[in-house]
Amino acid sequence: MRSFLSYIIPLFLLSCQVFASDYYEQLNLKPLPHSALLASFDFRSNTSLSQFEAQNFRYFPRSLGQILQHVGTRELHLRFSLGRWDAASWGARPWDGTKEGGTGVELWAWLEADTDEEADHKWLTLTNALSGLFCASLNFIDGTRTTRPVMSFISEGDHPNSTLANMHLLHGILPREVVCTENLTPFLKLLPCKGKAGISSLLDGHKLFDASWQSMAIDIRPVCPSDQECVLEIEQTIDMVLDIERSKRPRDNPIPRPPPGHDLKCNSSKPYHAGDTCFPADSIEGQEWALDQVFGKTMKGTCPLTDPDVPPVCIQAPDSRDVYTSAGVTELKTPSGLSRCYKVPSDSEFSLVLPRMSHEGENAKTNADEMVEPETPLLYAERSFTGHGQERGGVQSILTNPSPDTEVEFIYMETLPWFMRIYLHTLKTRIEGISGFNEDVVKEIYYRPALDRARGTQLELRMRIPPASTVFLTYDFEKSILRYTEYPPDANRGFDVAASVITILPSTAPNAPPARRKTSNLRTTSLLLSLPTPDFSMPYNVIIFTSTAVAVAFGGLYNILVRRFVAADEGPAVAGGLKGKIIAGVSKLAAMFKGAKGKVE
Amino acid sequence: MNHGKMHLQETAGLYATAAALRLALFTLFPALPDLLTGRVEISTPVTSFKRLQEGLFLYNHNVSPYDGGVYHQAPLLLPLFSLLPDPSAYPIFTYVLYIMVDLLSAHALYKIAESGEAASSRLFTSARKDRRWSGYVVAAIFLFNPFTIATCLARPTSVFTTCAILHAVAKAIYGTPFTAMLSLSFAAYLSMYPILLLPPLVLLAYDRQHASNRILSLLQFAGTNVAAASVSLGALFAVSYLLTGSWEFMSSTYGIQLTLNDLTPNVGLWWYFFIEMFDSFRSFFLGVFWLHLSSYVGGLSIRIRSQPLAVVTLLLGIFGIFKPYPSVSDASLFFAMLPLFRHVFPLMRYSFLTASVVLYSTFLGPAFYHLWIYYGSGNANFFYAITLVWSLGLSLLVSDMTFAVLRDEWEVERPEMVGKEIRQI
Repeated sequence: MRSFLSYIIPLFLLSCQVFASDYYEQLNLKPLPHSALLASFDFRSNTSLSQFEAQNFRYFPRSLGQILQHVGTRELHLRFSLGRWDAASWGARPWDGTKEGGTGVELWAWLEADTDEEADHKWLTLTNALSGLFCASLNFIDGTRTTRPVMSFISEGDHPNSTLANMHLLHGILPREVVCTENLTPFLKLLPCKGKAGISSLLDGHKLFDASWQSMAIDIRPVCPSDQECVLEIEQTIDMVLDIERSKRPRDNPIPRPPPGHDLKCNSSKPYHAGDTCFPADSIEGQEWALDQVFGKTMKGTCPLTDPDVPPVCIQAPDSRDVYTSAGVTELKTPSGLSRCYKVPSDSEFSLVLPRMSHEGENAKTNADEMVEPETPLLYAERSFTGHGQERGGVQSILTNPSPDTEVEFIYMETLPWFMRIYLHTLKTRIEGISGFNEDVVKEIYYRPALDRARGTQLELRMRIPPASTVFLTYDFEKSILRYTEYPPDANRGFDVAASVITILPSTAPNAPPARRKTSNLRTTSLLLSLPTPDFSMPYNVIIFTSTAVAVAFGGLYNILVRRFVAADEGPAVAGGLKGKIIAGVSKLAAMFKGAKGKVE
Repeated sequence: MNHGKMHLQETAGLYATAAALRLALFTLFPALPDLLTGRVEISTPVTSFKRLQEGLFLYNHNVSPYDGGVYHQAPLLLPLFSLLPDPSAYPIFTYVLYIMVDLLSAHALYKIAESGEAASSRLFTSARKDRRWSGYVVAAIFLFNPFTIATCLARPTSVFTTCAILHAVAKAIYGTPFTAMLSLSFAAYLSMYPILLLPPLVLLAYDRQHASNRILSLLQFAGTNVAAASVSLGALFAVSYLLTGSWEFMSSTYGIQLTLNDLTPNVGLWWYFFIEMFDSFRSFFLGVFWLHLSSYVGGLSIRIRSQPLAVVTLLLGIFGIFKPYPSVSDASLFFAMLPLFRHVFPLMRYSFLTASVVLYSTFLGPAFYHLWIYYGSGNANFFYAITLVWSLGLSLLVSDMTFAVLRDEWEVERPEMVGKEIRQI
């Protein structure tokens, strides 16, 4: 193996001159309010389409590439997500929400197939193959969890017109899947440096899955630069929001313990603040943190395959914020004064320390000195269940457009399980915050009703919300009761309902700011639906009781129908009561016994 | 003549009172109709008004209502209800329609009672035939039965089936067999199970033919009538096909009754049985349950050949217990037919027991359902137990009535046995 590689590597080095930017990686750190830290890892590698067809994968992971070739996948997006993005305090999402999935695992892909049946078959092959590759239950994406979105997802790649005609978009989501370390390991193995060097060496399952929010994404799409050959691009991103205080807990002593009284941070503005009473202060005031502290590891140099011109680590903090780095690191500041990047020597360990900045005293700093104010998102969305009981309920989505002057147009997509029978005629919208608005906010509806045990509900709404207003979208549904074998273990926990996907359409206004000129996404949280449950312990009893009731009715009626009426004293004489029956039985037995005896003799 | 006029006034007063009561309930308690629509005891997946509205909404928006798991009702209801103004904006039209249907059913019942067929048919005249209630009383019992009123307020589409069945019986009694068959095929079209009433209804119509154009051969008569029923049923299917553009509706409306895909709780025995059934035996027991349901038709029709109306009544009682999606509305139809047999009431042995069991389950059913679904302090077995009691109570009533009818028949042969103790061998 070693000798084979040593033969290959010089070839690579030769070709590297031509494809200098075939591999790219960067870590973006962004301190967020309430002592949170957003870390966005971005890994991107390319291979030209002709090389890909010839099975020369280079930086493109072979295991994934072969699956894609086998099932004719033209574009693929896979997401593993956990937690909730707190838009109210953290602002707009990273990558405009395009690299994020609903809680659990989400997959959508464009497959090349002549018919719908062929596409379904290929989709099944794809989900099963990816399931093995990523150690996730993707094989559970069956017909009931697969949809074909009509308006929501837009292809990101550059596809030639010949394939565009018979490309099928299929989308599946597993909201119950718990994303964990076993999904990170195969994810890292797809990277050229495999988590051994470069920014990927910071990734550790303990910290990643302990984050307040995290999303791992894989996007594969063909990209055709205008003057070059088309390339197949794989982009792997990991975004996570770390709670700094939580991440700083030492790994060998992770159990949180209450701090001793003299270490408590108290809010001294409360009237009852005294020596023995304490109202805990908000953790707004910045904390000191270091890269190796929050990630639990140090960064081991840079990945040698990456473009040396791209700085591997960037931090979005104002220039007024003090940042200390390890020796030998070059700092590059951007002209805007809001972010800086670091070039790291390829063989030394890298760390970063942000000291605590005092908000009091002589050199008092304000929040603006400490961190970049988060951007306001284009839309806030939250969704919840209404009603009580296990018979029926409602869903309420609250969609708020915070912009004071621009309306927002988007597509709201719900994929609901079949056992949630929605009543579309109860779909209502109510608008608040603006008066005299009579227009219907729902412009277009695409609805595909659920079919029992065959497919789920697909609901896509194109909506437009006027500036500074809130829309309440509600509809009713009924909870079905299932066969007892269809309930998962721990049926009373409930069933997860996938996040709704909101695709904000690019603004068509000529003077729209650049942030509004591209598609962005957001997703609500997933919901937990509790269904009525039968008693799982007694199938036999129920079968026996019901059968008895049926037998009693049938037997009783036929007994009456087939027998003759006689007066009580007519017909063959039978002594009444138990005594008579016993006598009759005994005499019958005696007769049988006598008969048997006679035969023996 | 004067007597008849007085009757007309009386019944008009009765219908007006019943309509006024329903209208008053609709208007004074505006939340009541929707509350009752949500009750599983009244609305089943194949009759629910809320599902009808959803089907209507999809139909009006050019989405096939049969390409989904919510709407399982007959296609012809869709154009009928899309003629009415939107029920959420102008509910009064829907209310009036349902009240009219109830009155039509009551009128059919009135005519059945007035014919006296229950106590004296062509082949049999009861010794107790004078002991009977007039059509006025029978219609009043139907119209003021709380089950009927609750059904009317909840607006399930089963009231159309009820109305069609009662009209089929009334037309058969009044010597118009083809109208009866048309009416029956409507009922069968709407909810499938009434097709099982065909044999006793043919016998009833055969017995009550007009003397002028009488067909003597029973086989010939049955043949023409079955043909008439099939033709009208075929025509209804053809119209439905033209309306929806595909045969999808067959599997969605009738298939679901055969396969029981929707396991929403109801007062019957099927839902919990098939929730708890092992997957490998599901199809077998579906077959057994359907066979069981249809097995009564032959036995009753043959044994009580002389009284086809009694057979129809007993079958309606049995369907109310053992059909896949029974509701209180089916029980109310059976309770409507029962008073026609006033003359056999003294021969019934367990009237007190059945009355108490029915009352017991009526009051405890909703309570136990609430305990299971809303409070979570009971489990599914609570409601299941009540449906079991309800079914056993009703089946006891059916057997008891069968016994009374047969004994009444036997006492014509043996008049000296009236009031004596008897047994069956």
